[in-house]
Amino acid sequence: MSSVQTSHQAVDVQGLWKIFNEGSNNEVTALSDINLSVKPGEFISLIGPSGCGKSTLLRVIGDLTGATRGEVFIAGETAPVAREKQLYGIAFQQAALFDWRTVRRNVELPLELQGLGKKERRERALELLELVQLSDFAEHRPWELSGGMQQRVAIARSLAVDPPLLLMDEPFGALDEMTRERMQNELLRICQETGKTIIFVTHSIPEAVYLSDRVIVMSPRPGRITHTVPIELGERNEDTRETDTFYAGVTAVREALRGRSASASPPRIEEL
Amino acid sequence: MSEPVSGKQRGATRTRVQRGVISILWALAGVVLVVLMWEAVKFLGSFIELPINTSDTSMPHVWTMVDAFSNPVVRGSDTTVLQAVVSATLTSLKIALGGFTIGVTFGIVLAVIMQRFAFFERGLLPFVIASQTVPLIALAPLIVGLGNRISFGPIEWTTTYSVMFIAAYLAFFPLSVGALRGLQAPSATSLELMRSYAARPNQMLWKLRFPSSVPYLVPALKVSAAAAVVGTVVAEISTGVKGGVGRLLIEYARETTSQPAKVYVAVFGAIALGLAAAALVSALDLYLTRNLPKESQA
Ligand SMILES: Nc1ncnc2c1ncn2[C@@H]1O[C@H](COP(=O)(O)OP(=O)(O)OP(=O)(O)O)[C@@H](O)[C@H]1O
Ligand SMILES: [Mg+2]
Repeated sequence: MSSVQTSHQAVDVQGLWKIFNEGSNNEVTALSDINLSVKPGEFISLIGPSGCGKSTLLRVIGDLTGATRGEVFIAGETAPVAREKQLYGIAFQQAALFDWRTVRRNVELPLELQGLGKKERRERALELLELVQLSDFAEHRPWELSGGMQQRVAIARSLAVDPPLLLMDEPFGALDEMTRERMQNELLRICQETGKTIIFVTHSIPEAVYLSDRVIVMSPRPGRITHTVPIELGERNEDTRETDTFYAGVTAVREALRGRSASASPPRIEEL
Repeated sequence: MSEPVSGKQRGATRTRVQRGVISILWALAGVVLVVLMWEAVKFLGSFIELPINTSDTSMPHVWTMVDAFSNPVVRGSDTTVLQAVVSATLTSLKIALGGFTIGVTFGIVLAVIMQRFAFFERGLLPFVIASQTVPLIALAPLIVGLGNRISFGPIEWTTTYSVMFIAAYLAFFPLSVGALRGLQAPSATSLELMRSYAARPNQMLWKLRFPSSVPYLVPALKVSAAAAVVGTVVAEISTGVKGGVGRLLIEYARETTSQPAKVYVAVFGAIALGLAAAALVSALDLYLTRNLPKESQA
């Protein structure tokens, strides 16, 4: 990988380290020497055992916490500038909707903060609610919605400013299997319709394989990228989850998660 | 997927109204109970020796109290005791309301400063807490003395302002502590979300911190309102300021031998003052929590 910033990657992470409480005796190296480039329109998943630094990586990319060493670029801009310019949208495991706002006004929030006019942001919010198929619930309160519906509102909200990049931290973690699969299809559909780049954190191997162009496998203590598994499933449909390519992908990711040695990994996994 | 029932909200409103009616009925039942107990104790006292004096001078009959409402304040006067008490109660209400407003405003401002600058929280919070150990009520005459030497140009500092100051002082503390907790209530996720939107500090305050503080603010407002009312009445008594219900309480208490029921009219005035404050805060509560799920209502 070139260390020269070409500014054409959707996301470019170079030599990133994140050390919490550096110098004190409860020092934690959450991320060690992370290098990652994501092409525009690419869907990548981060997977790895709990505590391997997936959320931290996402938060550093989003400039929600600073990097200890190394650099992060989003569409050629440094992370703080990218955040100021609203170059990404983020969705967490908790929908984190504001109870005191209606569903529509939750989606409007990022636009409101940018100072967009009442009418424009209303139109935009309704458009996005249609995209996540919640038009009928625009004037409901978040607590009147089911978990899956709330999560869809959160996704609509993350799309509000039409950012080229979406950062998603286990957004479907709390959902049942059926809802989850439907949400995955909805997310893929939204991606296709909007051409967004996605970095998606998940604990589910099938989910990572189904959604991604590339699965990034991480391991803990210190958090680092151990494998990158490319996935070539083509257009996803109802049968995709039953295909051999899909199973092969699942196996490859599972092996990568288990085996730390090069020999344990099938040949199609790129060792880092 | 569980679809919300469209009638759910209306149903919730209805139970809310029902709950209101039920609580009013309970309150009335409580009043009836107190009246019955009062008369029962008096009745018992006329047969057996009770540790309290149940004579008509100490414990006038409830109907004597009601009768006293329409007595003239002093022999030959046109104003009835009731009128005097109502006007005194209104005066006290204004003072309490003024003190409450000042205390709440100051409490919120202080909480915002403490939340915004950790330095101030560390520096100010101990003083805020220590301030409550000063028995201001006991020092009320001193405050009046100090106040009388203050003048803001054309505005003259009257003893009434001293009373209002004491009420404000008592109201501010619960409010500032509650508001501070409320402002610190937003979850880490909500805060990160706002940060991801590059929200400015004042947006953070108005769009997230204030709305999240409501569940903490409402109980704090209740405590503050009670403190303002008690502070007003007690400060009126201890400073002897004229016009309020506190003053009437001591004045009428001196007349128990001649008109034992009179002081109770003033007591009812003080109770009405408390109820008015409670009603005000309940209205505030309903307004502030109108958008929140019913469970989070205090
Ligand atoms: N604010 C923080 N202060 C100190 N240590 C932290 C902080 N945030 C995360 N860590 C540490 O960094 C490491 C990585 O945490 P992170 O939340 O990124 O893991 P994760 O991969 O997202 O785990 P999970 O799958 O359970 O969500 C953990 O060891 C955690 O204890
Ligand atoms: Mg995590």
